[in-house]
Amino acid sequence: MAIRKKPEMINQQVGWCGGCGHGIVQRLIAECCEELGLVEKTVQVVDIACAYWSIDTLNCDGIAGPHGRCAAVATGIKKVRPEANVYVHAGDGCSYVIGLAETCYTAMRDIPITMIVVNNGTFGMTGGQMNPATTLLGDKTVSSVKGRDEKAAGKPFDMLKILETFDIEYAARGALYDTKHINQTKKMLKKGFENQRDGKGFSIIEILSPCPTNWKMSPVDSMIKLEKENELIFPVRVYKDRGGEK
Amino acid sequence: MAIAKADINLCKGCRLCVGACPVDAIEPLHEVNKKGYEIIRIDENKCIGCGMCYVMCPDYVFTVE
Ligand SMILES: Cc1ncc(C[n+]2csc(CCOP(=O)(O)OP(=O)(O)O)c2C)c(N)n1
Ligand code: SF4
Ligand code: SF4
Ligand code: SF4
Repeated sequence: MAIRKKPEMINQQVGWCGGCGHGIVQRLIAECCEELGLVEKTVQVVDIACAYWSIDTLNCDGIAGPHGRCAAVATGIKKVRPEANVYVHAGDGCSYVIGLAETCYTAMRDIPITMIVVNNGTFGMTGGQMNPATTLLGDKTVSSVKGRDEKAAGKPFDMLKILETFDIEYAARGALYDTKHINQTKKMLKKGFENQRDGKGFSIIEILSPCPTNWKMSPVDSMIKLEKENELIFPVRVYKDRGGEK
Repeated sequence: MAIAKADINLCKGCRLCVGACPVDAIEPLHEVNKKGYEIIRIDENKCIGCGMCYVMCPDYVFTVE
């Protein structure tokens, strides 16, 4: 009997670039849904960005929200299908930049969905522009060619610090740079899905993830950067766990 | 004992599995698969079946059984 085998919910090959963290995130999502027996009830909401690759690959219901509006689309689905396991898989551009209002209002309304935000510090799909929320100072992107400068573009900001102040169920940040942190991230995701199953409130899990293509680094060096640089600004921890009292 | 098997057709040459293996059982090769990515090889004599390669690989190359 197989001890570790790709979840059956994943029924096609991975579309992402070599070494991209989205593939690990997709596998963790599928493992959680299968282990919790939620596949039949699951509706994925992916963003029109790199997360979109999941729409055909995962064997569950799903919809691609307009870029940035995934939390609002998921809110609508959860309102009309309260029994469904509704989750968002989106980037940090979608969730914290163009769609910051949607993310905040979903948190403010404490909608019981599971929101998964891939923090790769850039707009991956469109070719690697600076993300005002997550690109580190000094990081070179196609729209900060000499490195992000604080005077010109401000500083990155930890959005979970804002989101934890809303009356939500759960907020946590995981990371993908080694197997220990991948396993820890899976526990956070599972908690997010269990909260929804148990009728608790809004859960958001942000995941530090590499984008080797746009960082113009090897996948191995990208993981080192995540640990040595990005995690300093975006600490891996549980920000909020309301514990279900409501 | 369980050991890892690799479907190298799926490999994208990222090499993340190489550093994730605690016993250095994964060797990076210059040989490429049909997609043109440099693949890896598992040394079955070294593998202890721990599954760390499965946990790390973004392209689901590994099965441990
Ligand atoms: C309304 C709208 N504005 C802009 C775009 C172009 N666009 C597509 S993906 C994207 C950014 C993607 O970055 P992120 O959300 O961080 O996801 P990633 O691709 O990095 O996973 C942008 C600006 C769009 N598709 N729709
Ligand atoms: S562009 Fe970046 S985020 Fe998008 S698939 Fe490639 S590595 Fe992943
Ligand atoms: S982690 Fe997977 S895709 Fe990357 S080199 Fe190893 S087997 Fe290939
Ligand atoms: S199962 Fe463990 S020991 Fe075997 S190749 Fe994978 S990481 Fe290495």
